[in-house]
Amino acid sequence: MISLVSYLAISLLLFFIGLTLMIARKNIVAILLGIELILNAAALNFVAYSRFAASNIDGHIFSLFVIVIAAAEAAVGLAIVIHYFQLKETIHIDEATELRN
Amino acid sequence: MDYTILSIAPIFLAPFTAFVINAFFGKKLPRQGDWVSVLGIGIAFLFAFRIFIDFYSTYSTEYYIHKYFTWFDLSYGENLFKIDLGIYIDNMGAIMLLMVTGVAFFIHLFSTWYMWGDVRYGKFFTLMSLFTSGMLGLVLSDNLLSMFIFWEIMGFCSYSLIGFYFEKEKAGYASIKAFMTTRVGDVFFLLGILAIWHTVGNVSLPDIYAAIANGSFEGHTVIGISLATFAGFCIFCGTIGKSAQFPLQVWLPDAMMGPTPCSALIHAATMVAAGVYLSLRMYPLMVAGGLTPFIAMIGGITAFGAATIALIQTDLKAVLAYSTISQLGYMVLGVGVGAYNAAFMHLITHAVFKACLFLSAGSVIHSVHTQEMPEMGGLRHKLKFTWIAMWCCTLAISGVPFFSGFVSKDRILGDALYVALHAGQGFTYMIPAALGFIGAFLTPFYMCRMMFLTFHGKPRDQHVYDHCHAEHLKINQNVPLLILSIFTLGVFFSGSLTGQGFVKIFGSKNEWFKVLVASPTESLDKFAYYTREELGWSDTNEKEKPEHSEYEHQSGFAGPNHENHEGLHHAHVEGAFGSIIIVACSIFFAFLMYIRRSIDPARFVNMFSVWVKALKNKYYFDHLYIDVIIQKGLLKFNNALAWFDMGIYDRFAIDGWEAVSRVGYKSSNWFDRIVVDKIGVDGTAVATNIFNIVLRLIQSGKIQTYFIVLIFMLVTFVAVLT
Repeated sequence: MISLVSYLAISLLLFFIGLTLMIARKNIVAILLGIELILNAAALNFVAYSRFAASNIDGHIFSLFVIVIAAAEAAVGLAIVIHYFQLKETIHIDEATELRN
Repeated sequence: MDYTILSIAPIFLAPFTAFVINAFFGKKLPRQGDWVSVLGIGIAFLFAFRIFIDFYSTYSTEYYIHKYFTWFDLSYGENLFKIDLGIYIDNMGAIMLLMVTGVAFFIHLFSTWYMWGDVRYGKFFTLMSLFTSGMLGLVLSDNLLSMFIFWEIMGFCSYSLIGFYFEKEKAGYASIKAFMTTRVGDVFFLLGILAIWHTVGNVSLPDIYAAIANGSFEGHTVIGISLATFAGFCIFCGTIGKSAQFPLQVWLPDAMMGPTPCSALIHAATMVAAGVYLSLRMYPLMVAGGLTPFIAMIGGITAFGAATIALIQTDLKAVLAYSTISQLGYMVLGVGVGAYNAAFMHLITHAVFKACLFLSAGSVIHSVHTQEMPEMGGLRHKLKFTWIAMWCCTLAISGVPFFSGFVSKDRILGDALYVALHAGQGFTYMIPAALGFIGAFLTPFYMCRMMFLTFHGKPRDQHVYDHCHAEHLKINQNVPLLILSIFTLGVFFSGSLTGQGFVKIFGSKNEWFKVLVASPTESLDKFAYYTREELGWSDTNEKEKPEHSEYEHQSGFAGPNHENHEGLHHAHVEGAFGSIIIVACSIFFAFLMYIRRSIDPARFVNMFSVWVKALKNKYYFDHLYIDVIIQKGLLKFNNALAWFDMGIYDRFAIDGWEAVSRVGYKSSNWFDRIVVDKIGVDGTAVATNIFNIVLRLIQSGKIQTYFIVLIFMLVTFVAVLT
């Protein structure tokens, strides 16, 4: 039988992959991908704990919400990226320094 | 008559307003504003005439006007320090006001002819107005302090008028000399005022009289001498300076450097009259101080010495200047021998004829353009009116019967003779009286000499004679002279020649002058219980008369007026006949010398060659003052003071303070630069900059860096929590 530790290990792996994407990649779309992975890792954790540690389906429902929010977030994020691209003709993250200057 | 401020003040304010108007707008007015000055003095004359008529019709020695207000009051607690300004007019003041305004009016009128076309025509009238208003203010003053103020205003005006033609170097020096010489007297005058202030606590005339009457001066001493003597001496020194008496007479001859009308004003109505007027006002103090022999001596010496100098002068105005000094000597002699009334009468009569003489001299000088008598001669054919006027005045000053000078001067001489011979005063008054009589011999001589040289004989310089235009009657040239010369007649001042009453033009009041002007010593009783009222304009006419007085004369000298009238009358008859003979001899002598030419003046010059040399050098007084006292004494003292000033005070005090403040400047500069600037201001900037650099490192603007920091903080937070 697949144990809770296996789920958590997958989830941890997803989280770190996402984190690495967010920090290491300069492409904004890749960073958005990393954020999706982190969200998915969190959703996987909800589901895993709901299955093994609790006797209800709160975690399942919560993960559904996470998927919905992730979709909305991806829509908003991609919209920003498109506008950003129209402004700068690049999607390199280091060019986005308007707040500093 | 009821007096308000409006019926008295214009006497002073009208000429003063004329001065203010001329000083500020004179150049914009038509005729440079001369009519403003003439109008101002004319108004003053009308008001003075009204007051005079009032006093004349009241005809009482008890009558006087005293109005005052508080100028400022610095009293605190028990210490009274209050200065009042006010008006005090008695019979003497009323006569004086009439004389000053009248004479000054004619002088102003004459100036419009004499000064016309001058470069500083308007400025001349400005100063003349101020001068006259100063004199009128002095006469109106009820206290010594405001008298001193007006006294100084006159000093300033005489300075500016003597130096009126300041392009001439001599005129500049003469003005400085006049100012500095009179200043010596002024300092003493101020000291006298302070001495009186110290004793009386007030300087108004009634208060001083009251203090003398109450004997407040007794018991006080200043540097070993009694206070009355000290104060009297100091105030008399003011007279010496202003009236050009013996030690300080040097300025008056030089004062002729000014325009002739200004000389007339200085010599007659204002400046020199002020000195004698002050002495007369302070006469009770002089008597209380026992100064009368000293005053008589000064007067006698001046009367004689100036007359001798006048003998050898060739300058028309210089003769008149020395005759003024001599006549002032007679007035002071009169004060000294107690001939209070006669001295004041001589002041008035002298003012009239000396003003006329100077204006006549001005008329001559303006016509012939020279002042030297040797270049004149025979001018009577051309300057008829001036000739008549000047002869009237010459006869008056000489003391010829029926003229005013006879009445006044011979009353002084008669009193002097009486005091010297009959009053039992001993030898003290012999010398002044003798000097007075010798002066009375010299006066007609030098005056007639001047007249003969100027108007009689043959023209000595044909060029000068031909250039002189024949004189026509002119309202502002010779009419003033003729009007003034009418008042040289004796009947206006005395109904008699020696007191008998020949001519009675004034009816029962023919001796008005003698009756009205009474010495304050005789009426000190009325001041003895005089108490001042508080603030406001108050008329003290209705003062109750005291029942008795505790005053007694300190010196025992009462003047001739108190003594045996029989002896006085006798002495006056002797004096009068003596002086008539003297005058006749003198005029005859001058006639022989300068008309008949039967006596050669050179014989006398050779006979008294040493004396004549001394006379030419004015008795070496200029030499004494300038070369000896100033050059050898005062200049050395001055240099010593300058050495102290520059060597000690400058070097140590000023330069030392400079070093101290330099050190202070340096240390505070260091503190400013290092502590405040470097550490305080720059340090704040540097600290801010360092924080800036550190914070800028964090604020990279790169989103991923923020992620890293965020995660790092989160992890650290969790690690710390668990």
